[in-house]
Amino acid sequence: MEKRGGHVYFAKKDTDAVNYITNLAKEKHVQRVVKSKSMVTTEIDLDKQLLKLPGMKLMETDLAEFILQSDNWDEPTHIVFPTLHKNRDQIRGVFEKLGYTGDNDPTRMARFAREYLRGYFLQADMGITGCNFAIADSGLINLVTNEGNADLTMAIPKTQVVVMGMERLVPSLKEAEVLDNMLSRSAVGQKLTSYCSFSGEQVAGESDGPEDLHVVILDNGRSNALGTPFESVLQCIRCGACLNVCPIYRHIGGHGYGSIYPGPIGAVLSPVLDGYEKFGDLPFASSLCGACTETCPVKIPLHRLLIKHREVMMDKLKTDKAFNKAIMKGIGMGTAHSDLFQMALQFDHSATLPFVSKKPTTVDNLYNHQGHITHAPSMAKGWTDVRDAPRPPKHTENFRRWFKDHEAQKGASNDDQ
Amino acid sequence: MTSDNREEFLNFIAAKAERPRHQLTDHPFVPLNDLPETTLADKTPAELFALAKENSEAEHVTFKTAATADLPSVLDQMITDKTAQSLLLPTDERIAAYGLTDWAAQVAPRPTYWDPAGSRTENIQRAQDADLAIGCVEFLCAESGTITVATTPGQGRSFHFLPKHYVALVPQSRIVPRSRQAMDWYDTELKAGRLHTSNINFITGPSNSGDIEMVLVVGVHGPIDMTYVVLTDK
Ligand code: SF4
Repeated sequence: MEKRGGHVYFAKKDTDAVNYITNLAKEKHVQRVVKSKSMVTTEIDLDKQLLKLPGMKLMETDLAEFILQSDNWDEPTHIVFPTLHKNRDQIRGVFEKLGYTGDNDPTRMARFAREYLRGYFLQADMGITGCNFAIADSGLINLVTNEGNADLTMAIPKTQVVVMGMERLVPSLKEAEVLDNMLSRSAVGQKLTSYCSFSGEQVAGESDGPEDLHVVILDNGRSNALGTPFESVLQCIRCGACLNVCPIYRHIGGHGYGSIYPGPIGAVLSPVLDGYEKFGDLPFASSLCGACTETCPVKIPLHRLLIKHREVMMDKLKTDKAFNKAIMKGIGMGTAHSDLFQMALQFDHSATLPFVSKKPTTVDNLYNHQGHITHAPSMAKGWTDVRDAPRPPKHTENFRRWFKDHEAQKGASNDDQ
Repeated sequence: MTSDNREEFLNFIAAKAERPRHQLTDHPFVPLNDLPETTLADKTPAELFALAKENSEAEHVTFKTAATADLPSVLDQMITDKTAQSLLLPTDERIAAYGLTDWAAQVAPRPTYWDPAGSRTENIQRAQDADLAIGCVEFLCAESGTITVATTPGQGRSFHFLPKHYVALVPQSRIVPRSRQAMDWYDTELKAGRLHTSNINFITGPSNSGDIEMVLVVGVHGPIDMTYVVLTDK
């Protein structure tokens, strides 16, 4: 890349990337930015930061992203079809605010967007794109789009910024070609997407294309996956196939995930990037049917990674191992020795007194032993956090005692016959 | 502004991954199979032509053929059909090779050219103003109906994207089975230093989008329609 005259910047965090790009825009007095669809710039929230610069105009040029931007920065719901949640009338409503006067015919609306955005393209002084694959040996950036907007973004403005996740690297053009084929088939069922481009900084003699190219390589949590069982999630080519087959995604839609990466891939990736605190719920939003794993073109074991997330969470976050081990050992001893066990049965009722709810009971169990437990200590807390536990019966009323008495009675009545 | 943090970044990743840093040349990738090369590789030129036609048409492309002698009249017809008021041609030796020099000198409307000596603004404006562009491309991939073209000083990037209607001229001998064979050629030419370009486009049909209710709309940012003319005697 640098051999071709480009600049490469390594960004550890989202803010590093955003700062680099906003500084570049300031330095070059950029006023008009055109962007082509890129998940990673949404991930680092670049648009809003750039728009804070005085006088800055920024336009998303992918049709769907353009619709979202025009609708007051609505959030995307799908990796490949971000406006899946809007119907044609809603889109017409959005366009009417921009001066569209036609009907809700998709072709006419798309033509309107074409004309509207063309004007922007021709005046743009900076183009920002994502990157499907970066080719290591030739330093070219591979972009795949259906609309051709990425190519215009790379052709017209003098300055181009590419933001890429650090895992987007492929060795040579050949691997990029294989993956482009795979991506097209898995994403939209086409043999090859309309525009697959491989490009870098303008070479001598050419009159369009970027004169100044900056590539920002972003970590932003991706390295959390390295050296862990989740490493394979970095193979993802963002085709969206796992979303399409996921029964959960199909019911709740993209917004429900609260992350810009929805669906199975989002449920695996978001906790890796941003931690369990924020996205710990996502690995549980799965029926574990495995349809995602089956469809994934790059063979990421998605549903197995979801289970792994649950495991890791349970291990790391919920259980304090040393303490629980001691308790389990105690319980093991108690239940293994009959004397100890008998003793436990003698005292369990009175021992639970401190934990019995003081509040009046509204509904009673059939067998009630003077109250129920709402705040048990230690391991049993997991249970009482979500429901009440019945209090153990008094020693004189417990099952063993009852059974003994019952047997005795039965024996007596048998003798009668 | 350059990557002064490069070493730190790369070392950090290597440490996280618990693998030493390495160079691609020391650990080349070994493909698991040769499907990219072998798929459709056994087809005859006639079979490839038929496949190319079928797959291009499936991508909403108008597929035409012409012998060099007939090419001018085919192009004239197209100008009439599209009621093209302005025409853009590349500065490219293939125009002469396809016998179009005389035609270009007298065709109406008078063509403008993507000019290697022209400025960025001039060339982009010409492409923007063009109703019809006639480009020369390197390959047509039979499997997907894809044309491939590398940017040159005489045929820039916007040449293929800004005009309203777009025609690609491709010799029949340049129909290859898949994108793989085309890519192999570019890869070799680039590495041998015979090809100097900043951009290679693989274009499959006119621009399109399914962003509105997943209804396929043809013609979004790029050309709204596309014609391939296969030169049967080249
Ligand atoms: S995880 Fe697999 S199926 Fe899902 S988007 Fe990534 S590559 Fe596609």
